[in-house]
Amino acid sequence: MKKISLIDHIILWAGVLFLLLPVWLLFASSTHTVETIVKDGLQLLPGSQGFGAYKIALTEASGFTDVATGARMLLNSAIMGLGFAIGKIIVSMCAAYALVYFRIPFAQLLFWIIFSTLLLPLEVRIVPSYEVVSQLGMLNSYTGLIVPLIASATATFYFQQFYKTIPDELLEAAQLDNAGPFRFFIDILVPLSRTMMAAMFIIMFVVGWNQYLWPLMMTTEESYYTIVMGIKSILSVMREARIPDYSVAFAMVILSMLPPVAVVVIFQRWFIQGLVDSEK
Amino acid sequence: MANKRVQFSHPIIPYLFIAPQMLIIAIFFIWPALQAAYLSFMLEDPWGMSREFVGLENYQYLFNSAEYLYSFGFSIVFSALVAFLSLGTALILAVKANAVLHMQSTYRVLITWVYAIAPAVAGITAYFIFNRHIGVMYDFLNSLGWQFNPEADAVDASALLILVSVWKQIPVNFVFFLAGLQGIPKAVREAAALDCANERRRFWTITFPLLAPTGFFLLVINITYAFFDTFGIIDTLTQGTPGGRTTTLVYKVYQDGFLGADLGLSSAQSVVLMLLVLSLTFVQFRFIERKIHY
Amino acid sequence: MNKTLKALTLSAGLLSGLASAATEIEWWHAMGGSLGDTVNAMATEFNASQSDYKITPIYKGGYEETITAGISAFRAGEAPAIIQIFDAGAATIINAKGAALSVEDILVDNGYEFDINSYVPGVRYFYADANDKMIGMPFNSSTPVLYYNKAMLADAGVKPPKTWEEFETTAEKLKQKGYVALAQSHTPWIFFENFHSRHDLQMADKDNGFSGLPNKVMYNNKHLKMHLEHVKAWKDAGYYGYYGRVWGDNENAFVKKEVAMWIGSSGSFGGLKTSADFDFGTSYLPYWESINKDAGTTFIGGAALFAMAGHTDKEYEAVAAFFNYLTKPETQYFWHRETGYVPITNAAYNLAKDDGYYAANPDAEVGIKQLSLDEGEWTKGYRLGFYVQTRESIYREMDRIMSGETTVEAALKAIETDANRNLERFARTVK
Repeated sequence: MKKISLIDHIILWAGVLFLLLPVWLLFASSTHTVETIVKDGLQLLPGSQGFGAYKIALTEASGFTDVATGARMLLNSAIMGLGFAIGKIIVSMCAAYALVYFRIPFAQLLFWIIFSTLLLPLEVRIVPSYEVVSQLGMLNSYTGLIVPLIASATATFYFQQFYKTIPDELLEAAQLDNAGPFRFFIDILVPLSRTMMAAMFIIMFVVGWNQYLWPLMMTTEESYYTIVMGIKSILSVMREARIPDYSVAFAMVILSMLPPVAVVVIFQRWFIQGLVDSEK
Repeated sequence: MANKRVQFSHPIIPYLFIAPQMLIIAIFFIWPALQAAYLSFMLEDPWGMSREFVGLENYQYLFNSAEYLYSFGFSIVFSALVAFLSLGTALILAVKANAVLHMQSTYRVLITWVYAIAPAVAGITAYFIFNRHIGVMYDFLNSLGWQFNPEADAVDASALLILVSVWKQIPVNFVFFLAGLQGIPKAVREAAALDCANERRRFWTITFPLLAPTGFFLLVINITYAFFDTFGIIDTLTQGTPGGRTTTLVYKVYQDGFLGADLGLSSAQSVVLMLLVLSLTFVQFRFIERKIHY
Repeated sequence: MNKTLKALTLSAGLLSGLASAATEIEWWHAMGGSLGDTVNAMATEFNASQSDYKITPIYKGGYEETITAGISAFRAGEAPAIIQIFDAGAATIINAKGAALSVEDILVDNGYEFDINSYVPGVRYFYADANDKMIGMPFNSSTPVLYYNKAMLADAGVKPPKTWEEFETTAEKLKQKGYVALAQSHTPWIFFENFHSRHDLQMADKDNGFSGLPNKVMYNNKHLKMHLEHVKAWKDAGYYGYYGRVWGDNENAFVKKEVAMWIGSSGSFGGLKTSADFDFGTSYLPYWESINKDAGTTFIGGAALFAMAGHTDKEYEAVAAFFNYLTKPETQYFWHRETGYVPITNAAYNLAKDDGYYAANPDAEVGIKQLSLDEGEWTKGYRLGFYVQTRESIYREMDRIMSGETTVEAALKAIETDANRNLERFARTVK
């Protein structure tokens, strides 16, 4: 039994290292000088430069407009992640509430319309979506970055399923108390959904933060660049045979993954719950 | 419709609650989807100053294009490989994590954190590691005698893409498999332990069949992932090269529509993709109906 | 939001009589790295030289990304006043009535002199319309040239090859010393387009697209087939290093001394001076004596600046002032010296000569001298619709030729099919 368990641990550690090493390599290399990287390639052990590259990545902007510093891009990503998560939770809680707690004609039709959004990811309708957003004059705006992504109704189903598990007696009691729909929603349903909201928030924040194609098309002004799409500029540099400031480039990559990774690690329990529930 | 016994009924309030959702869907989902269908019958100049009805020409063009058909085939093979490898690795890790008594939650954190990394960021990370000039893996593979050369070799480039896509998808599969394993009742496990002493046989005869529903559901998730979410990985790693051999359907929509400025052609591809996803969903419903209870 | 705010502050300024605010225009460009620094330096100088106009250059990524961004912005009604469009995209913008205004008109309307003959011959008509009216203002003009590592060539006891015939012996000698002889960074531009100009071969019907909308590309010809078959043989023999389609991967092979010679842009000169830690020389693009023993000039590549439609007269005034500044001999000379792009006016070329620049840097003159070689019937340029996609096909097929996946014959056939279909589709969008 003990021997088997040792093998189990070895296999697990192999998996852990497989997942961890690539990111560790970039992190360790970000603390070396550019010369070391150019001469000897990526480094496995941390170097002597400390976090100098991170400071540069955060504060220095390239180009003439001087707005797209790493800090600015992180801020944009945060706005996108938060805006998306919060917006989506509010919109879908309300919609699910209407579907579950009200007798409405055409409920079935509304349900199927909402359901259909799950079938066609944004990538499929990306170019016409871009057209619509540009016709509405929403290019280079946070609204344009966030709202179209909310169209997909994953969270609505999630809350709908959850509301159904809430005992009917609650509503009956509330109605005896003469509580109207708004009060019931705010005073009873929202507090009851707290864990659910937290779990959903974690997932949606990560999804929003990690958007790439959409901001790539939507933003032509550097001041709206998010960090995940901003790292594309590192690639442009390399494709044109210029040597990027490697340590700063690595620092940018690490910075772009830090906030969502932190959220997932710190709120592990909610994250697991959110992942399992939202995909179903 | 297994609905609530009691419900509110009100002529306006429910619509207020559902309005934001419906509005967003109408503007940013239905309108673009209809526009894609409409534009797929059009030929438009790049600047959007004129358009002309061309019937099915864009569709004919697509299905006569060797490149498009290739990307169709590539997407399917690519998805299958990504799904298979990622599910397999995650299953092994989940079974082991379920078996160990100590450090289970540590392992879970150490395996799931990769979920938070954006596909594009995963792609650029791999780009550095497999790069000719600074990439340690590039040197390592070449020192093994594998003439690893993803810029010019289609097989190497595809292998790299698959590797990164698998890496990125392991956490999701792991979480679900672990949840599935932990959902197997203790009584079943104990009975199994008594019945077959051989651990491997126990896995294949008891555990695996019990995990099959999870596995099937994950298969759909993985295929969807490989089709759509790998865009960022492709765009940062290979951009469809070499020789167009790593171009998925979604990447092609982007290339033709956005970079190539051929809106009609790109819209036709969107419509084809919509039909594809619809049929995938249909299959999913046929085999697991548990997903939707309304 | 931002815009409204800007508009509000602007109108508030006007109302309170502070109308002295400079007219601001944006210039989207594709010049990264040290090129971008030079662009910024020029903009800063222009802004400092007067107080009526302020130009803001914005780097948009590579050429393809820049034209894509421009098209999207135009569709959304947010196009910049000036955009840099590369040679392959010229047809897309010049044929689109109402996308761009002619530089010639803008300059003349705003009271500046314009004489098309003051531009060096190769540049004059590349970005002109069917009536020889200049639409785009040539900006960064370059042409493919051969760079060579002096030490490696000396080690092998060879000189840079003038012809491809010569190259075969040169390459063998380099190989014996353990060097890969050659790499190049842009297959469509170097091995397709300029292969045709250098040998004075026709590229497409309708005078390469200059006298009307063409519908046939002539890449599937015996000369190009012969050339590409040689290139493949050279790769197999270890004479030629193919590092994929990305410009930088191939240029880096030269910088990192993996290859002895590299064909890139005359505009790469400035960048190489800083990145290469060895002595390098510059020479003409090789040609096949067997095809044309009097091989002549090459196309002027690079990109031009276009004034996009939809702006105010005041903004076009600023555009005109900036274009006028750009064509000044001093500005041109500065740009030429910093980057290696060729001077586009005769006056600027003469200024560089008089200044003794070429006496001190003979290599810097190679590009412009190559462009001053004999003109032929087919060296004026080309104007092909959806050519950006055709280039994609060329890149794609070259990858496949080099990996042995396809034959040169099949590849040229595939390129021809794609290119002709692109032309046909494009022609129907032109109203």
